[in-house]
Amino acid sequence: MSGCPGSRTMDFSEKDVQNESETGKRQSQLRQWPIQLHLVSPQAPYFQEKDVLLVADCVPFALADFHKDYLKGKSIAIACPKLDSDQEVYIEKVKSLIDDSKINTLTVIIMQVPCCFGLVQVAKGGAEKATRKIPIKQVVVGIEGGVLSEEWI
Amino acid sequence: MENILDKEIKGIIDAYPEVGKILEEYGIGCAPCSVGSCLMKDIVGIHNLDPQQEATLMYRIEKAVYPGRDIPEPKVDLTKKAAPKKIMYSPPVKKLVDEHVLIKRLLALIPSVVEYIENNVEVDKELVLRCVDFIRNYADKYHHMKEEDILFKYVDENAEIIQVMYKDHDTGRNHIRQVVEGAENGNKAQIKEHLFGYRDLLTQHIKKEDEILYPWIDRQLSDTQVGEMFRRCNEADASVGDELPKKYENFINKLEEKFLKEVVK
Ligand code: SF4
Ligand SMILES: [Fe+2]
Ligand SMILES: [Fe+2]
Repeated sequence: MSGCPGSRTMDFSEKDVQNESETGKRQSQLRQWPIQLHLVSPQAPYFQEKDVLLVADCVPFALADFHKDYLKGKSIAIACPKLDSDQEVYIEKVKSLIDDSKINTLTVIIMQVPCCFGLVQVAKGGAEKATRKIPIKQVVVGIEGGVLSEEWI
Repeated sequence: MENILDKEIKGIIDAYPEVGKILEEYGIGCAPCSVGSCLMKDIVGIHNLDPQQEATLMYRIEKAVYPGRDIPEPKVDLTKKAAPKKIMYSPPVKKLVDEHVLIKRLLALIPSVVEYIENNVEVDKELVLRCVDFIRNYADKYHHMKEEDILFKYVDENAEIIQVMYKDHDTGRNHIRQVVEGAENGNKAQIKEHLFGYRDLLTQHIKKEDEILYPWIDRQLSDTQVGEMFRRCNEADASVGDELPKKYENFINKLEEKFLKEVVK
């Protein structure tokens, strides 16, 4: 695994932490269960005509405001394009989300490491198979938690 | 400073022409605008300058308007996001930008069409009317209607910039009525005047939409609205059928062929 930038060991524990307010309690914005892409039914009621997030497993751990800035008001499925098996099933499920559940938009949120872009390919593969067309957005998150880019693809 | 922000731009430029020049340096072409009743604060917001640019611009304008005043150096609010360099449109807006391309191809042919008409004894009425048909059914019905019925509804329709767009669409329709009248009466001068009038109007109009209006609207849209607008535009397109855009693209291809050949001859 030594050559893979996605698994290179890095330590940024020395990183300057700005004085952000950590007081108060936040509400979870999750409104469904399950969330793992193999476990969800793409035709579940919580996907119908919704704005859906397809999120790489590692993203919510890096993105501090994931609930507030992304999950709020949306439905979600999570997957890891590097380690998960049977990814053809994922492509079919994305197609079904678009065609059967008539989702409004799909936002794919991935980590910046190269192998995570596989999840964008899964989304594109499903969208190409689908007969309906919907807007798809790609959000790339840095390993130190910043949003590196956000664009419609 | 508040009072400048709440003033109409035309009034400011009339009283202080220097302000028009300063705005132009920032790529903000208010001086030649036909309406000009946008408020100064909207102009600054709409153009999405980065915070440094915006602060410097406002500082220079205030200096021009109140030369005697002791104005503090600009303070920069770095929490505001800087403008992205490349314009990125959402998918439904991108479709409208793409439709502009076909309209611009017609605009580019207008000088050749006019020259052809001037050089022939009889006015080629059919040619003029086919161009009018493209303008009325593709540029106006197919394209402008999506703007008016869908896109503009996502922002404050009373915003000055939207009012300017409506007015441009109307002025365009008037030009085309005049072109038709010219074709009916064999009046070459009338055809020329109003085809050129339409070309100048739409060239500016499309530039304003591509560079200013559409990005401004896009910045205000939520993902949910983008998805909804995409669906509504697709439904509008489906209601006229796939044939219509294809038919007009063919028309432009043929027209280009005809006039490019003329040039070669
Ligand atoms: S591919 Fe993405 S989700 Fe999977 S381990 Fe790598 S960064 Fe995490
Ligand atoms: Fe327009
Ligand atoms: Fe337009």
